[in-house]
Amino acid sequence: MKTLVLGTGNPILSDDGVGIKVAQEVGEKLNDPQITVAETSEAGLRLLDSIVGYDKVIIIDAIQTKKGKAGQIYRMKPEDFSYAKHLSSPHQINLVTALELGKMLNLMMPQKITIFTVEAKDITNFSEKCTPEVEQAIPEAVKMVLEELVG
Amino acid sequence: MKKIMIDPITRLEGHGKIAIFLNDDGGVANVYFQVPELRGFEKFSEGRPAEDMPQITQRICGVCPEAHHMASTKALDALFHVEPTSTAKKLRELLYSAFYVTDHTTHFYILAAPDFVMGPDAPPAERNILGVIAKVGLELGGAVIRTRHENHWVIQTIGGRPIHPCFGLPGGVSKAINEEERAKIEEIAKSSVEFGKLSLKVFDDVVLKNKEYLDMVLSDTFTHRTYSMGLVDENNKVNFYDGKVRVVDPEGKEFCKYAPRDYLEHVAEHVEPWTYLKFPYLKNVGWKGFVDGKDSGVYRCTPQSRLNAADGMATPLAQEEYEKMYSTLGGKPAHYTLATHWARLIELLYAAERMVELVRDPEITSPDIRTIPTATPDEGIGIVEAPRGTLTHHYITDERGIIKKCNLIVGTTNNHAAISMSIKKAAVDLIKPGKEITEGLLNRIEMAWRPYDLCLACATHSLPGQAPLEVTIYDAQGNELKKLSQGIS
Repeated sequence: MKTLVLGTGNPILSDDGVGIKVAQEVGEKLNDPQITVAETSEAGLRLLDSIVGYDKVIIIDAIQTKKGKAGQIYRMKPEDFSYAKHLSSPHQINLVTALELGKMLNLMMPQKITIFTVEAKDITNFSEKCTPEVEQAIPEAVKMVLEELVG
Repeated sequence: MKKIMIDPITRLEGHGKIAIFLNDDGGVANVYFQVPELRGFEKFSEGRPAEDMPQITQRICGVCPEAHHMASTKALDALFHVEPTSTAKKLRELLYSAFYVTDHTTHFYILAAPDFVMGPDAPPAERNILGVIAKVGLELGGAVIRTRHENHWVIQTIGGRPIHPCFGLPGGVSKAINEEERAKIEEIAKSSVEFGKLSLKVFDDVVLKNKEYLDMVLSDTFTHRTYSMGLVDENNKVNFYDGKVRVVDPEGKEFCKYAPRDYLEHVAEHVEPWTYLKFPYLKNVGWKGFVDGKDSGVYRCTPQSRLNAADGMATPLAQEEYEKMYSTLGGKPAHYTLATHWARLIELLYAAERMVELVRDPEITSPDIRTIPTATPDEGIGIVEAPRGTLTHHYITDERGIIKKCNLIVGTTNNHAAISMSIKKAAVDLIKPGKEITEGLLNRIEMAWRPYDLCLACATHSLPGQAPLEVTIYDAQGNELKKLSQGIS
């Protein structure tokens, strides 16, 4: 099964980059030619470009919810991602619309998409480091992604 | 005083709020356009080697990394006092033209077209790309995806990486292209020209042949007579990659034309207490507030402004369309904000035609891609036209090339004053005492800023959410009277 692990976010904007950090760590633990690990700062149509042709896709992103606690990890499906950061770039289109568009145009869309999101604390200060609360959540997020790959 | 909040703006990178304050009669008293600020980029850059800046600055924004990469690379040329080889310049411009094709395609079909194809009053659930494709046809949808996909391949092939190029170096680029790659790029360029022509036909069919839309484009509600800014080549033709910044006044007369290194003599930044974003204006006219006209230093740099600021397009098909546009709009310069969508498509066609010219240039596959810098670095300024406006990178380093100071003026920021004015004018014209405030009405107000293709991700960044739109109306005592919302779970 051709699988993509895609970290999304901005690696120089504090917790915004957590998805990319998780994906990088997952990549270090894997050696399977069927699994591609990639990162992107993009959303919308470019996200669609990235996932076309894979059977299974796991996306990792930062999120900010109204009552969330920094470092909290959520396992989500495309339908309920509406508060994920990069999956919903209003500059383009959100993931659900992108997926619908892909189907409409008969592109080879993944059968299964899982999204892991990590509750972010700081996404306005430029830094290559995450805040301690989010940093501490990375090992658990990596574990969840690895389990998802097996399952 | 009553208050209407649109929070956040839909289909916009970055979280913005439009606050519309009503007076006691129910008319519009004032409008504020606010965005949160990303902090600390200057500090983040300090102490880093200048050569890292093309990689770092393109990470600021998820929308136009290629523009930052290019402005930064040009700032490095100036910083290290080095002239890139002819092939290097052409490869940079070729990549940049492919980027323009993808970016303008995205804006038109994803953001602009839904308003016109589906209509400004269509429900938000239908007013999107899916609605457009369902109405205009799957074939066009396929062409949009294919054009973007192919041009991303061009960016990756020349730039070394998809999305975030890594080829810009002071004095040139890091890799050449071979004949096989060149031939494939030529095919993509030719098909992009056809796509550009097709897109202009779509605009013609959907907007220009619809009297109601054309009247809206030409209406005073969506008109602002400001100065126009854009990069021009040595013949005063539009250029995205290089040249001088030219500014024409609201009558179209050249006001100034300057090299990037002189930008601080011409542009200053006004600060308002209610927002973090600054308002650049023409220093030699002066800041007179959020007003139109020759006495106000407010300028715009949008596709329409770039066409206004130039004497024409450097490629034949785009020139034909340029002439057609000004003849339809009643002469040059044009100040119709909604016609910016038209100008954007003419730029798309130009970018594709320019790709064809560059990829057929005998020098394009030459291995002579770099001049090695030997001078001591001190200060460098690089300017390109980003799709959203003139983009300036300015670095000061020590003698080792370590950044001491960094200043960026990003595309959208240039248009900040004009965006605020456009929103206010539309709100004043559309919200009248006793008239019900509907979603369609609010979308018409959004249509006033959508042509600017504003991307706040450089100046700020997106916050969470599927772009819910919330409008709250308060009475004169600040009590909530009514709330309109969409996309809020």
